[in-house]
Amino acid sequence: MKVSVEKLVAISAAVTLAALFLMVVSIVYPKPILLVMSMSLGQGIGTLSLALYLLAIALDLQGHRPEPEESAESPAPPASGPPAP
Amino acid sequence: MPEIDSVEQLLKMAALVCAAISAAILVWYLLRRPQLNRPVKVLLLLGLGVMPAGVALTGNIAGYEYTLKRPFCGSCHVMGAYVRDASNPESNSLAAIHSRNHRFGEESCYVCHADYKIFGAVTTKLNGLKHLYYYVTEYAYTGPDGEGGPTIHLYKPFKNGSCEQCHSTSAPRWSKVEDHQGMLKEIRSGEMSCIDCHSNVHPTALAHRAKAEQPAGQGKEEHK
Repeated sequence: MKVSVEKLVAISAAVTLAALFLMVVSIVYPKPILLVMSMSLGQGIGTLSLALYLLAIALDLQGHRPEPEESAESPAPPASGPPAP
Repeated sequence: MPEIDSVEQLLKMAALVCAAISAAILVWYLLRRPQLNRPVKVLLLLGLGVMPAGVALTGNIAGYEYTLKRPFCGSCHVMGAYVRDASNPESNSLAAIHSRNHRFGEESCYVCHADYKIFGAVTTKLNGLKHLYYYVTEYAYTGPDGEGGPTIHLYKPFKNGSCEQCHSTSAPRWSKVEDHQGMLKEIRSGEMSCIDCHSNVHPTALAHRAKAEQPAGQGKEEHK
């Protein structure tokens, strides 16, 4: 199964929102269970989503490297030299 | 706008601001789905990494500060009777007298019950996790003050070191007390516990618990 970089980033953003929710709930309602959830689950999920984002960026950078196969498929750049006779 | 009157409040506000900025960036990205060019990537790094790290850091410190306070200890219903007595301005129990002292104030539970060592805060908070486990597994739904639950005990005997944080055993007024003079060696070595004589620590709470024990039935496990 192939997941696009955009999809990975979107998943990471959605997961971060969930992590933020967990962390903010314990700040607004500081109850023992919520604090433990925030400091363990909330921060764990937040760290995972950041790792996912960094992975997406790494994949994106890798995809943008010029490769011989890609350059053969892509349309040829305009020739800079004089046209062949 | 809520009033900011302590570092804890300031940290909470900073955490909420970081969370709001982060959420705004992420919601914008999810709704608009812009192309992933360099400025968008940097903005997302802010929303996914820097701002949530700010929320975690400030939220952790604010959360830790709050866990030192009496209302936090009282947020588990089994502590209700203890906290009500400690907060009662009319009460003459040791807990209430110390809670009225400005050096203890809102942190009176923690100051007396925290381990007095270099890693005291860590071991105390780890024990707090144990409390939470017992609270969820054995005391939930056991009555308004946990009357139906097992008897509450300290994990280990109360150490004189907690009292000696303030009562150094060398102050002239303390030394004037005859019993203190006679048992100075035992008190300092821990052979004699301060609360053996000063036993009026949480009288209402313990009396309440003892009364509740009788109808609650026998055979309940005790936490030591």
